[in-house]
Amino acid sequence: MRAPAPFTDIIMAEQAAPAIPSGETQRRRLTLSQSNALLGYFLVAPVVVCLLVLVVYPFLFAIWISFTDRMVGQPGKFVGFENYLYLMRQPSFQATIRNTIVLVVSVQTLKLVLGMGIALLLNQPIRGRQIWRGLILLPWAMPAFVAFITWKLLLAPQGGAINHILISLGLVETHVDFLSTKALAMPSVIAASFWRGFPFWVIAFLAALQNVPKELYEAAAMDGAGAWARFRNVTIPSIRHVVLVVILLSTIWTTNSFEAVWLMTQGGPSDATMTFPVLAYFGLQSLRIGEAAAVSVSLLPVFGILIFIIAKMLQEEDA
Amino acid sequence: MRRVPTKWQRALQIMTLLLLLAVAAACAAPAAAPAPADGGGEAAGETASDMPAAEGTFTYWGGLIFSETANQMLVDRIEQWGAERGVDVEVVMINQNETVQRVSAAIEAGTMPDALDVGRTFMDLLAIQEQLEPLDDLYAEIGDSVGGWLPAADESTNPDRIDGHRYGIPFSLGGNVLYRRADVLEPAGFTEAPATWEEIADMSRAAQSPPDTYGMGFALSNVGDANITTTMLQAWGGRIADDAGTTCTIDSAETRAFLEWITTAFNDGLFPPGATTWDGAGDNVAYQSGNAIFIANPGSVYLYMRDEDPELGDATRYSAFPAGPAMRVAPVDANLRVIPTSSKNKELAVDLLKYLADPEFMKEYYYHAIYGPAAQGYVDAPIFTESPVHQGLLDLALNGTFGSLPDVNNPALSEYQTNFLTPRMIQRIVVDGVSIDDAIAETQEACQAIYDKYNE
Amino acid sequence: MLTRLTTGQKILYYSLLVLLALVILFPIYYMLLISLKLPKDIYRSPSILPINATLRNYVDLFVKMGFLVNLRNSLIVCGMATLISVFISCMAAYSLVRLKYRYRDWIGRLILFTYLTPSALLFIPLAVIIARLGMGNTLYGLIFVYLTFATPLSTWLLMGYFRAIPADLEEQAMVDGSTRLQAMLRIVLPLTAPGLVAVSVFTFTGAWNELLLALIFITSPTKHTVPVAVSYLITGDVFRWGLIMAASVSAAVPVMVLYFLAQRFVVQGLAAGAVKG
Repeated sequence: MRAPAPFTDIIMAEQAAPAIPSGETQRRRLTLSQSNALLGYFLVAPVVVCLLVLVVYPFLFAIWISFTDRMVGQPGKFVGFENYLYLMRQPSFQATIRNTIVLVVSVQTLKLVLGMGIALLLNQPIRGRQIWRGLILLPWAMPAFVAFITWKLLLAPQGGAINHILISLGLVETHVDFLSTKALAMPSVIAASFWRGFPFWVIAFLAALQNVPKELYEAAAMDGAGAWARFRNVTIPSIRHVVLVVILLSTIWTTNSFEAVWLMTQGGPSDATMTFPVLAYFGLQSLRIGEAAAVSVSLLPVFGILIFIIAKMLQEEDA
Repeated sequence: MRRVPTKWQRALQIMTLLLLLAVAAACAAPAAAPAPADGGGEAAGETASDMPAAEGTFTYWGGLIFSETANQMLVDRIEQWGAERGVDVEVVMINQNETVQRVSAAIEAGTMPDALDVGRTFMDLLAIQEQLEPLDDLYAEIGDSVGGWLPAADESTNPDRIDGHRYGIPFSLGGNVLYRRADVLEPAGFTEAPATWEEIADMSRAAQSPPDTYGMGFALSNVGDANITTTMLQAWGGRIADDAGTTCTIDSAETRAFLEWITTAFNDGLFPPGATTWDGAGDNVAYQSGNAIFIANPGSVYLYMRDEDPELGDATRYSAFPAGPAMRVAPVDANLRVIPTSSKNKELAVDLLKYLADPEFMKEYYYHAIYGPAAQGYVDAPIFTESPVHQGLLDLALNGTFGSLPDVNNPALSEYQTNFLTPRMIQRIVVDGVSIDDAIAETQEACQAIYDKYNE
Repeated sequence: MLTRLTTGQKILYYSLLVLLALVILFPIYYMLLISLKLPKDIYRSPSILPINATLRNYVDLFVKMGFLVNLRNSLIVCGMATLISVFISCMAAYSLVRLKYRYRDWIGRLILFTYLTPSALLFIPLAVIIARLGMGNTLYGLIFVYLTFATPLSTWLLMGYFRAIPADLEEQAMVDGSTRLQAMLRIVLPLTAPGLVAVSVFTFTGAWNELLLALIFITSPTKHTVPVAVSYLITGDVFRWGLIMAASVSAAVPVMVLYFLAQRFVVQGLAAGAVKG
């Protein structure tokens, strides 16, 4: 069984047209498909123009300057891969690659597993479902910088609620240094990123779950399928599309996210939480746009691979 | 039937056009807006003396500081100037945390203000990029009217540093003063200010009682405050680079001795928790919450205590930075007003800078802002004898070591500092457990890579 | 769904829900708590219960800081950006899902691709473009810039919603004599309404929360949006936590209310009648 999105383009409509046989139809079909194309271009044009001006041009510009020694206010000259080679030599660059992977993979895995669990929980016939759902959305509705600044305060050794609670309960003897201990800094950032990001997953999954025709479950139940079998054979295939899209979107957000690390640890201690956007930001501090651009651009192959995989999966599904 | 597609097509065309028009109208409106402002400026300009009319609105970017009163004073003063000269002014206070991005974007977009406040190292960077007007004559002229510049202010515009010109008008000298908790130290028998960094560590060891208090509230993280460790390194006799300012000399016996001292202090638990990831406010928060016995701070904590926590203020004593085994380093640096080359109102900007340098205004300004004086004519402001922290700042302005001395103040050193390589070197040892020798070798290499970019 | 819950399930589910509520609410509670404290109490007597609660931070925020102006600016920018973005994205998404033409797939990919670019990479070139268009330091400029992240996301989400509506509904109407526009307005849009609401909410929040670009493009204090105003409360090396948290609460409330009101649409976006019809 596939997702309930059976028809994706106009082919079906054009096939439907000859069902009315008449001399008019032949001419009308041609006009229709041509005008469809025209209309298609027309409708998509505003977005495309907008993005060409606001994203594609600046983006190509940024790629170009990553190959120059451009500084703010100076045109700069072409230096080939020098910025990239300089980056490779930086000890923090390798840490950055590692940290970005660790952060994104852990946060996304957590969101996928727990997000799915929570969505399934909220899909049960529980009392006050609307209220629970509203509640889930709260972290997502908070501005990101507000959320992370609050987490920083929560985890702070001085005046932080979590340390205060741990000490009051006698669970620890002295302040736990969540953000400054190498072993705890990344988990803390992961926890805060999860807290802020999981509602989107839950809500998207929940929407998808509600869209699964109940008959399918009933049929599966009649065939004697247990809860796990129903989840595997009915739920997963039905919501696969939504899951893929959510993973894609959220991975983009998490990888590009600057606030979490910047506000909580500024990449420290000793680069333990340094990620690409923060490293690029440091590059800008010395007005070296070329170098800063190179940091951001070196992230693109990762994105490219990701999109390729997801687009492939989406296409297979549509086929 | 055949006409039908055209109909909806047209409807959509119209809708889209309308939308594009709306967007276009929205874009056009602000572009047209400055015109009346321009006219207003000219009309009023006739009443003023010989000042040229402002082209558009005259814009000034001030640096936002902790004292709201001081911020407001600057805004009021510039607006008063605008009213007197018949010039439309817009004063924008820029959060200093965002100055670099804001200025970078403005330079690239050609939307720089007519004049602005900057720190000395950022001024150097901008001047090297040829973004600033040389102000040699103005500097001399204002200097005469304010009784001569203090040596550190003079040094901040040293023409030898950047192609023979002075690019800014200093308006304040700032730096860190050492704060200590007398109520914690005195019961332990320490009544005098520490004379050396080692004494600070020894006092901390004896007086602190974790988790309530920790001795050394100095940042070791990736923030500007943590560059205090570069100052300590120099006090131990270590140097970032040689006298030519081209070759890194971090790999030295002095650096080793300093690192041994600071890592021992760290491992003995003298630094408050969090010191290795503090943001710019971390040390202040540690002190404000009563967790730190010593901190280095330019004065914002003093203002905070004066307004919000007088009890803690009463328990606090202020002193100059102590000495290390080799020398005493107490960095002082300038804040300056500069005029971008892109300014369309340079004459007006020059006039404004003179107007702002007026000693009566500046003396009042220093009362609220926590800065040391930049010129001889500002030194006799009453606040410099009344408040203990201002006394410290005056002492720093008169006797401090300029910039990153004894190292050569050049852009390579600024980049070394904005990359926080000294605190990172310490983090490598105390966080990552790398050996002192390896940490030095890594930092030496990263430092040389930065210097090499400027050596070409 | 299939059956009523057993007692064991009830206990398990409700205890999990309570745990979840705690995790979600505690940081928000703490934010609220700090916003009611004076600076000294925050640092010197940490607690997780309100001690010496005061509204001084809120009074300072709205009276002294003129936070209402920032709220108004944010409403203008986010409202306009949402309207424009949802309108043009809706057209684009319909086109990409329902109409067939050359390069369609490439355009789809382009739109997704543009969503990947980090704004930290774009802001300097964007500053140049905005200045050339004469939109520097204006709310219009900001609205325009927000289309960079708003339209790709809206288009993508709306494509999902359009796909979920069976094309034969529309075709049936067209066979019955409706024009495509009529079919779109009468059949497709009503079914997509929950989706449109959901996308509007996402776009609005995205714009409401955006800090980096607003910080760069808006200089005049009277044009600051809410996130910029909050970030300006962090001056140099002093965090005025009480004020920051009061502003955070005030910034979060409108969006939270919006979500609470719209959550039914967000959740039911795809579910509503579309399939059964």
